[in-house]
Amino acid sequence: MIELSLEFLLAMIALLLIVLSGFMLYIFYQRQREVSFNKSRDHYLKDYSLLWYDYFFNNEIFSVVLIPRGKPQVKAIEIIFSSYLKNISNEEMTRKMKDFSNLYLKQFYEKDLMSKRWSIRMNALYRIADLQLDELLDACRKLEDTNYSKEEFFQLLKIYSIFQPELFMQKIKVPNANYAESEYRRLFVLLEEDVFIQFFDDFTSWPASIQFAVIDTAGAKRNMKYIDKLEHLLMNDDDEIKIRALKGLFEIGVIENIDPYIPFVTSDLWEVRLMIGKIFKYVPLAYTFPYLKQLLQDENWWVRNQAAKTIAEDRDGIEKLQEFISYSTDAYALEMAQEIITRKQGSR
Amino acid sequence: MIFLHYAMLFFGGVIVFYMLFVIVSYCTMFAIAMLDLRKRYRLDPSEYDDAHIDAFYSKPVSLLVPAYNEEIGVVDTVYSLLNLRYPQTEIIIINDGSTDRTLETVIKHFQMKPVNKIVRTNIPTKEVRQIYESEIYMNCILVDKVNGGKADALNVGINVSQYPYFCSIDGDSILDEKALLRVMKPIVLSDGEVIAAGGNIRIANGAKMQLGSIYDMQLPNNYLVIMQVIEYLRAFLMGRIALSKFNLVLIISGAFSVFSKKWAVEAGGYATNIIGEDMELVVNIHRLIKEKKAKKRIEFVPDPVCWTEAPHTLGVLRNQRRRWHQGMFESLWKHKKMTLNPRYGLIGLVSFPYFWLVECLGPIVELGGYIYIVIAFFLGQIYYEIAILLLLLFVIYGVIFSVASVLFEAWSMNTYPRKRDLIRMVLLALTEIFWYRPLTLLWRCEGLIRFLRKKSEWGNMKRVGIAEKEKSV
Repeated sequence: MIELSLEFLLAMIALLLIVLSGFMLYIFYQRQREVSFNKSRDHYLKDYSLLWYDYFFNNEIFSVVLIPRGKPQVKAIEIIFSSYLKNISNEEMTRKMKDFSNLYLKQFYEKDLMSKRWSIRMNALYRIADLQLDELLDACRKLEDTNYSKEEFFQLLKIYSIFQPELFMQKIKVPNANYAESEYRRLFVLLEEDVFIQFFDDFTSWPASIQFAVIDTAGAKRNMKYIDKLEHLLMNDDDEIKIRALKGLFEIGVIENIDPYIPFVTSDLWEVRLMIGKIFKYVPLAYTFPYLKQLLQDENWWVRNQAAKTIAEDRDGIEKLQEFISYSTDAYALEMAQEIITRKQGSR
Repeated sequence: MIFLHYAMLFFGGVIVFYMLFVIVSYCTMFAIAMLDLRKRYRLDPSEYDDAHIDAFYSKPVSLLVPAYNEEIGVVDTVYSLLNLRYPQTEIIIINDGSTDRTLETVIKHFQMKPVNKIVRTNIPTKEVRQIYESEIYMNCILVDKVNGGKADALNVGINVSQYPYFCSIDGDSILDEKALLRVMKPIVLSDGEVIAAGGNIRIANGAKMQLGSIYDMQLPNNYLVIMQVIEYLRAFLMGRIALSKFNLVLIISGAFSVFSKKWAVEAGGYATNIIGEDMELVVNIHRLIKEKKAKKRIEFVPDPVCWTEAPHTLGVLRNQRRRWHQGMFESLWKHKKMTLNPRYGLIGLVSFPYFWLVECLGPIVELGGYIYIVIAFFLGQIYYEIAILLLLLFVIYGVIFSVASVLFEAWSMNTYPRKRDLIRMVLLALTEIFWYRPLTLLWRCEGLIRFLRKKSEWGNMKRVGIAEKEKSV
């Protein structure tokens, strides 16, 4: 048996070594191809980057030499376009890129979308969204008939949100497509106002990650139209939604009436009390001091710290804090008030 | 004589079965890693990086830099952190009672000013003397404390930090500018289900650097360092990726890893009485996850995030390996009750037995194998065959796996693009079982002996300065 095993092992080792040698030769061949690919790509970058610049920004006529003849040139164009897209916001440039891509890059990405390799399809989906290749929308929709991955569906949602918002609203309801909050934010932040506001209708029907992303995006958009919507969510039973809505309102930074916020000063949740301490920054201290004083004596360190900071930010804040120190007996509140005064005075 | 005969047969059998078990385990892990990397082959990573560079899509992180007598390196480390592409961070430098001019250097260089700051003691630590804030860099804090070792310094950093995640950084590592973005990726994309993540550590020897960043990778000339490069690639492909896929990771490198502050605090922070504090924290968090029955994960990120200098002399390498192995034993021994305990799920049933059998006891069995081969050749013909069988298994285990790792890494990640470097690595991998492997086995066995001896003299353990400590692979 051992003799057999020895032969078997020797044969195995020999076979594995042959396979690995073959693999090494393949790697060398592939690297050679990569070198010539990069050379061709760099040639294009060197020769035509300036022409692209003139075409985008100096109103020069489009030159046919810019049309890609193969993958290396497409890669070079991707590099040029993405560097402009990342750094410059210019409608004319974006339109020119879009027209060019729809005309000359479409066939390359269409082919890539059919690729068996997941990473190639993903790269194509990235580029379709970045370069706004709306003519490939149908090809993208066909991808839905295949066994697509979660990541591909996310890119499809992004593409739909740019080219066909109605379709996006329909597709985002697909029950098994659950993404992280940050991913939903990436989708929502680009949506037009009229599409985005639809998420507040029937708000409770959305999964939690979408609800949270909607609230956070509303805050980040800093649009006063969302104040009512967020204030309405303060009545929600879910604590997390309440906290997020308060955070969103804080981000927008406009408080017209403090009445809806007063009941939260005595909330059971320290996070809610902390957010109230933050929001009161946008209201003159004359209206909020009694509540902030209460928060300064809160049992939670973060709440006390925030209340002291908010008071100190007002013109008369330091004076109010010093006054508080003179009569208060709460050791923790005193310590906090003292620290904030010292810091404030130190930074002056 | 009969006794010797049976003993030889018995030990031969045990070693052969052990080697087969390890080879099958490695093959499985290699296959899982291959499938994972093949999927991501040629995927454009910049799309994710660019999208998540905005604070709106990411989570803030506190960067902890413990410093003990690092007056020369600490300023560069802080600059490399200031270079990180990440939207919201704070840098906390913890001077662990240095006896050189570390404190003065940092104060002078970053214009640190004393502040009166109240620190919440989430984890008990040695006394904090003073906290300083930089006047030129926002969110750059210096904490001066009484010496207590690296773990204690990190615990102070955790107490002072204000963000929900913290990242521990070794002073002598070179970071990729996208390191934090990449390591935070699983945390951000899982909505907090991932509570700790570590990145792939590479060897910096031979790399060309400019302004704190690596721009060209070249294989160093030192054979000992090249062997370590191969070893790192192997550990990465035959271990980390597969273990991470099933939430079985017990080690994420202390050189650059992110933890959820809430979970780390609840796990008691870094243990100050143990050598491998990184592993200890990970095991404690795993334990907590299982005890709380929470749906949380610890992940390993395959992207290279951090480069570290490898020992280039036998003496330093020996010291490092002894320490790593001793640290691993200490941690596993401390949590021995988790082994094969169904209460701890796959961590207890798979991870712990795997670490005990393959990582801890492996060196003893393997070294036994080498000794067996030598004895068998002296004892005569009947044992030759077992010895040859063992030798062939060693070839598969040592040579074939190493060559496969080198080639697969070259295909998927291409860290060393030169043809010459690849050939050198493959050729050197072929020699591994003759010199490098037996040496590391010996050192790891030494680590075991030190662990056994240390157990009795636990109370006298001398604290080691941060600069002398190495990070785990």
